[in-house]
Amino acid sequence: MSQTITIDPVTRLEGHGKITLKTNDQGEVSEAYFTVTQVRGFEKFSQGRPFYEMPGLMARICGICPVSHLLASAKACEAIMSVTIPPTAAKLRSALNMAQTIQSHALSFFYLSSPDLLLGMDADPADRNIFGVVKVDPELGRAGVALRRFGQHIIELLGKKRIHPGWVVPGGVTEPLDSAKRDEILAMIPEAYANIRLALNWYKRIADRFRDEADHFANFPGAFLGMVGEDNGLEFTDGKLRLIDATGKILVDKLEAAQFDDHFGEAVEPYSYMKFPYYKPLGYPDGSYRVGPLARLNIATHAGTPLADIEVKEFKQLANGPVLGSFYFHHARLIDILYGIEFIERIFSDPTILDTHVRATAGVNRLEGSGVAEAPRGTLMHHYKVDENGQMLWANLVIATGQNNNAMNRGVLQTAQRYVKGDKLADGMLNRVEAVIRTFDPCLSCSTHAFGQMPLEIKLVAPDGSTLDTIRRG
Amino acid sequence: MSLSPANPSPQASLAQPLLLACGNPLRGDDGVGWRIADTLAITPSTPPLHVILSQQLLPEHAEPISAADLVIFVDCSALTPHGVVSVIQIEPASSLPRIFTHHLDPASLLRLTVDLYGRIPSRSILVTVGGQEFELSEELSPPVAAAIPAAIALILREFQLQQAKNPAQQMKAAGPVEAP
Repeated sequence: MSQTITIDPVTRLEGHGKITLKTNDQGEVSEAYFTVTQVRGFEKFSQGRPFYEMPGLMARICGICPVSHLLASAKACEAIMSVTIPPTAAKLRSALNMAQTIQSHALSFFYLSSPDLLLGMDADPADRNIFGVVKVDPELGRAGVALRRFGQHIIELLGKKRIHPGWVVPGGVTEPLDSAKRDEILAMIPEAYANIRLALNWYKRIADRFRDEADHFANFPGAFLGMVGEDNGLEFTDGKLRLIDATGKILVDKLEAAQFDDHFGEAVEPYSYMKFPYYKPLGYPDGSYRVGPLARLNIATHAGTPLADIEVKEFKQLANGPVLGSFYFHHARLIDILYGIEFIERIFSDPTILDTHVRATAGVNRLEGSGVAEAPRGTLMHHYKVDENGQMLWANLVIATGQNNNAMNRGVLQTAQRYVKGDKLADGMLNRVEAVIRTFDPCLSCSTHAFGQMPLEIKLVAPDGSTLDTIRRG
Repeated sequence: MSLSPANPSPQASLAQPLLLACGNPLRGDDGVGWRIADTLAITPSTPPLHVILSQQLLPEHAEPISAADLVIFVDCSALTPHGVVSVIQIEPASSLPRIFTHHLDPASLLRLTVDLYGRIPSRSILVTVGGQEFELSEELSPPVAAAIPAAIALILREFQLQQAKNPAQQMKAAGPVEAP
């Protein structure tokens, strides 16, 4: 008899969602839905506000990656102002973005995903958390805590607050860097290198244990979108967008933020508040694509820093072309961290970083503007329209997690078909269904604009619609 | 560049007391912990101490806790009567929450500190003020605002007791105030 499985809430994610699995008469999983159940509506309530308030307002969407929203929003505002920000301000903002990427990735990898990797997908759920990690491998736990602190402390030094710093504004940043802060940041670099090296070495030692998961965690051909620099290397803040297909062929290149809507649309589904962006020429859902650490490494030819270049070269050996398995988001996340540390060291070793010209000023010179930045989870787009007085008329945000929405749904189906058998829900099989979503590190607060923590439910539903089994957490 | 694993440095800031104020200052009474920390900062008899202001307790707080000899958690309580100051001693939790995203309670944080760094302060206490108004506001309700002097007095007494226990220890320069 066919049935439906619901996982509600999904655990160890940022936000709140549920998974529904439907089985057919043969007891095989035939459909899967990752549902985001809440709505927040930032685009709506920003209407009528002065555009220059937008970075501060939009940063409140999320406590994990407020810097990404600050940057994308400030860049959209700068398009409205028609200004180019001072070079030192651009460098400082790039460094802030990497600090946020490091702290967010540390949270994702060490706190949320390493329990699965260290203890195993079938381990006792009571141990499968950061406390379990610390018990078994305190050195790894300390490295994770220290890397998160490293990123957060840089954000705090630059932006005065770890969460929701207000330092990034339309036109640049509010104040320049002083030498004491620069020296403090540079002094933290050696320990950060040691910690990421420890984590990378550890990951490479254990990755082979997860060959089956790597083969079945959202492992399918599809496109990848992200930002690259002028030299085709990694870029998180001031590059242009590139979309490639599953073979590595470039579909769109050197795309400016303002051109995004020409190439990408957003579909909706009745079961989720999260939208489903897609590449227009291929339509929906065929034009769905992935963003984030895996996409960034697939679209870039190299990193652009010495140690990360070595890691990227090794990463690219995993496949003949783009790496398609979403399990490798974990690996890519660690390479992002290494790149971020090198990038920060480079930025703060540059003597021009203390330059005091860090803000351009202007009024409304255009009635529409778009800004893009690479958030930890992938490409983040802000698009605004204003009136002659600079009052917000309309806003649209295309969030990284939303851009992975279709891939997450496909991944849940693929993983469930592999691991969910019969009419009873064993914890290990359900944890794998959750774990495939964790590889994407979705931030549901941003993507749905939902509020709250992430509990998750898995529900098993029969073809007649009756619920056969439910597991609920949180 | 060093490529050896990082070592914790539990003796890094010898025995400096740590005040960890928790809460959301935009949620009315929930901001009382921050207000107490701010008031302590301008109270002349406050000894030098390391202050962390945070919306919630996080695993990253384990490291500064491991370096302190006294930690005082300050928070609002939705369970105790409105405006009542309470103090309890905190011991590391024996069992830990099954679900963790990124915030903790004081006892779990102490347990994590032990497991990560092998050291916790000799004394850990939680000072709370019973709150009632948690709507969007930067103002404290009158009973909670009126309770701040009592909470300050209690915290200062803890500092004195700690100094009396370690008479040879001279408190050094104040640590930074960390905002979230």
